[in-house]
Parts: sequence; structure tokens; C-alpha cells
Amino acid sequence: MGEGSNSPLPLGEGLGVRASTLMQTSNNYNRNRYRLGIWFTAPAVIVLLIVLAYPIIASLVLSFLKVRFGGDGLTFAWHGITNYSELFTNQLFREALFRSAYFTVLEVAAVIFLALSVALMLNHPLGRSAFYRVVLLVPWALSPVANAVLWKWIYNANYGILNQSLIGLGIIQENIIWLGTPWLALNMILIADVWKAVPFIALLMLAGLQNIPSYLYKAARLDGANAWQQFVHVTLPGLKTTLVISVVLQSIWALKVFDLIYVLTKGSPADSTVLLNYLSWRETFSNLDVGYGAAIANILFILMFMLALVYIRALRPRQTTQRDG
Amino acid sequence: MPRYLTQFFIRFGLIAFTLLSLGPVVWSVVTSLLPLSALTSKPPDLNPLNMTLENYSLVLDSSRGLFSGLINSLIIATFTAAVGLVIGSMAAYALARLNMPGSNKILMMILATQMFPGIVIAIPLFLVMSRTRLVDTHFGLIIVYLSFILPIVIWILKGFFESVPMELERAAAVDGASPIQTFRYIVLPISLPPLFATGVFAFIEAWNEFFFAIILTRINVKTASIAIAEFSGQYQTLYGQMLASAVLASIPVVALAIIFRRFILEGFAEGAIKA
Repeated sequence: MGEGSNSPLPLGEGLGVRASTLMQTSNNYNRNRYRLGIWFTAPAVIVLLIVLAYPIIASLVLSFLKVRFGGDGLTFAWHGITNYSELFTNQLFREALFRSAYFTVLEVAAVIFLALSVALMLNHPLGRSAFYRVVLLVPWALSPVANAVLWKWIYNANYGILNQSLIGLGIIQENIIWLGTPWLALNMILIADVWKAVPFIALLMLAGLQNIPSYLYKAARLDGANAWQQFVHVTLPGLKTTLVISVVLQSIWALKVFDLIYVLTKGSPADSTVLLNYLSWRETFSNLDVGYGAAIANILFILMFMLALVYIRALRPRQTTQRDG
Repeated sequence: MPRYLTQFFIRFGLIAFTLLSLGPVVWSVVTSLLPLSALTSKPPDLNPLNMTLENYSLVLDSSRGLFSGLINSLIIATFTAAVGLVIGSMAAYALARLNMPGSNKILMMILATQMFPGIVIAIPLFLVMSRTRLVDTHFGLIIVYLSFILPIVIWILKGFFESVPMELERAAAVDGASPIQTFRYIVLPISLPPLFATGVFAFIEAWNEFFFAIILTRINVKTASIAIAEFSGQYQTLYGQMLASAVLASIPVVALAIIFRRFILEGFAEGAIKA
């Protein structure tokens, strides 16, 4: 909290009103503020308790149950840790876990590298025009499903622009079935996801770059640092917090990828594009194995929660230094 | 590296960036304007004289579900943004200015809620909402969307409210305004631009949402995203129409993002890297 917001209002200083009434008004006023604060936070807290806190707890409970859809509705039976032990012996789960890890690491590395390059270019005097800002916003704002449809068309084996251009350029001889070949399909989804994700991270980094005081660069130049040395000793340390936050946010988003898989492959070929989030959805809503699906969801939740803790840590030290400055 | 070489590389990089970002988008717009025969000839027949709006009129036909999807998305995104703004601005003001104890912890929790995978809350919500008959209703989806909209709204607006000069609120208090009057007549009016911009942001997020929509809708409240996804599965050889529906669903959000770019660039991006 800011300093000013926590201190009681210094009402009446130099106003020429009697001190005792002042104290009372001030106390009343502060009590009113406190009461109002409770009323004001209550609706948001209630909504969040209903749509977040309750489901998270329920999901934990569900993962220990066997849920069946019968003619008379749902039936619940205690299932112990069977859902979890089943998970770790299940081949598909292990593969999905591995693929999610592969996808996340590669996706985050590519996004961070490309976003940093874009941010550096847009921060350079040549890239400052508003036009490039608009260019950056278009892929970001695009609806994710529209993005998926767009890539489905680009990757189309018969008429897609990718095959047509590669054949036209003489790089390949015949059409490649981009989304029908196991590892290839996953990597094509990865490319589409990177394309959509770069703009937002680039925006974050641009904001981070603009927060680096210019006198640091001047000082570095006075000390004889060249462009590369300035980048390593001024830009990178100045971007540290932004980089950590970008890595964490992007990892969380990469673990959540769903729309692209749903539209492009539905997990095919041979389940080779099934990642954790998609698997959890499929087990729950297609195979109707709710408890098992919830167990997968909880594994995902734990992974993301650990990442969230890193994000919060990254924000903290900055907070104190900023308040002092 | 000599200066002209650096400049050359940056210019080259900027051109590559522009082509790679806009290329796929331009290509989908072009595709949406071409008849199927032009798209399936090799190489594609890009003669501008062939361009037609036929794909658009076909996908907007009421039997296709896209038009009602757009209407549903409009209703849901508008209400989510509106309710999110009302509830969220109150909570944000309380956390920023009303001496709430532990407001820092509440804020960190709100931030952490952003990081939950949707599937964790989707499964129990689906079970509860099937029983309460909220599946496939506008109301059900709006409530669920608030789970990710509210934290963002609170987080952004708290930053703005903290920048409202304390002197203004003190002056109002001296004039005898109660805290709620101060909020209503002093703080809210001068925060209108950020409020509006935050609303736009919430609208875009709700409009684009897909994951909860596919789980919590059946027939009545299919959103535009669902309509497009289904379309791309059912009629996947009607490329022009597929892309026309994707373009239609993207126009509102892309337009909003471009109009409000200043806010998104300065306000929101900064907010994410500062607490």
C-alpha cells in the first residue's frame, strides 16, 4: 500500500475548528471508510469464492472419487488415490506430460527470444512509429479460435499457402501433410502458438525497456561500452524482473494451450498432439471419467501454482525499491 | 559494428516483423473474399476481379449459427465487462484507499487466481451448473467469466485509483462528503477513461474466450468462437467461408484493440510488471 493511503486523514489541521470535534469526525470518517471498504470488497470476494475457491476445493475432492453418469444422474463413490496411481502407470498420461514439458520449454524459449528481439527493435528510434505498435496488437487481439482456423488453412496439405510457397520456391517436391505426421503436427501447433503469443510478451518487454533510465546508457557509453556491452550490462539487468515475469506467464499459458489443439488436430494423429490440458478435458467431457480428469487437472494446477509463486516472488522486491524511489 | 550496418539490420528486422505479423492476417482476409474455385486452383487464382462477399453472406445465413453466435458473444462480453467493472471498481477502490487490513495479501491472492488452469474450476462448475440448470445460459457463462475478468479489473483499477491525488479526497472529506460520496462524485468521474479502457479490455477477453464456452454451452448460447470451431470441423473444405467467419469474429476485437492501443500499450503492459 502507498504511504498516504494507510495514514488516517489529517483533517482539520489549520482549519480553526475545535480539536475534540475534529477527532470525533475523523474517527467517524475512518470508521465509515473501513465499513465501506468491507461492503465494497464483499461482492467481488463472494463471486470469486463461488467461481474459484469452491471449484478448486471440489476439484480436489472429485479427484478422489469415481464419478459415474447413470440414468438417474451422477453417482459418486470413494476411489482413494486410485485416480492418481492410475495416472502414473498410464502410458498416455506420461506421454502427454512429456509432450507438455517439451512444448512449454520450446514455446517459452522461442517466445522470449522473438519478443525480446521485437521489443528491442521497437524501442530503437527507427521502430518508434505508431504503425509498428498496431502491427504488434493485431495478432494479440485476434480471437484464438480465429487464429487456429487461420493456421489450419495455412497448413492445409492440398491448398495451403505453406505447401504452395515451398513447392513454388523449389524447397520441397510434394505436399507435406503438416498436421498428419506425429512429431511434425505438434511442432506446427507450436509455431502457431508462438506467433500468437509473441506480441503480448513483446509489449511487456517494451514497457520494461522504457523503464530503464537513459542515464545508465549514457554512463555506460562514457565508460566506453559498445552496443553489445550496453546490452549485457545495462539492458539485461534492467529487464531482469520483466524477463522472469514473462517466462512465468508464458509457461502458464503454454501449459494451458487448448484452442489450437481442438481446432487443428483434436489430439490426432495417434494422440501425438494430446497435451495435459487437452487430455484432462477429453477424459472428463468425452470419456466422462470425471474423477480421472480432475486428477489430471490437479497435476496441472500444482505445476502452474508453483510458477505463480515465482511470479509473485518476482514482483515483490521491485515493489519495495519502487516505493522508496 | 558500423552505424549504417546496425540501421540496415534493424530496418530489415522491422520489415520481417511486419510481414510475419500481418502476412497470415492479410492472407486470411484475401481468402475470405475469394470463391472456392479460385482457392483450389494451383497456384491460387488471386485475380482481384474474382473477389466477392459471397462467403460472408453465406456464413451469416441464420442456419449457420454464426450470426446468433456473434449476438451471444456480444451479450456475454458486454455483461461480463459491465458487471466486472461495477464490482471490480468498488473492490479496487477499497483495496487502494479504504484502509482494508491485509489488502496486499488479498491482491496477491487475486493475482494467483489468474494462474489457475481453467480445467480445474471447469469440472466442478460444470457439475454444479448442470444441476442448477445454468449450463447453456448467458447468466452461467457470465458468472464463470467473472472468475478471470474480476482479478484483471481489480488489479488494473487499483493502480489507477492509487494515482488519484489524496488531496482531492481530503478536500471532499473537509467539505463533508462521506466516503461513498467521495467515491461516487470525485473518484469515479475522474477515472472514467481508465474505467472505460479496462472495460474494453475485459470485453476483448470475454469475447475471445473458448475453453469455458465449449464446456458450458450446448445449443442456446453458443458463442462466436464455438460457431467458428464447429464450422471448421463440419465444413472444413469450404475454406473461404471458414476464413470469412474467422474474420467476422475478429473484426470487433481487433478494431477495439487498435482504437484503445494507447491504454493497452501503456496502462496494461506496465501493470503486469509492476505491483
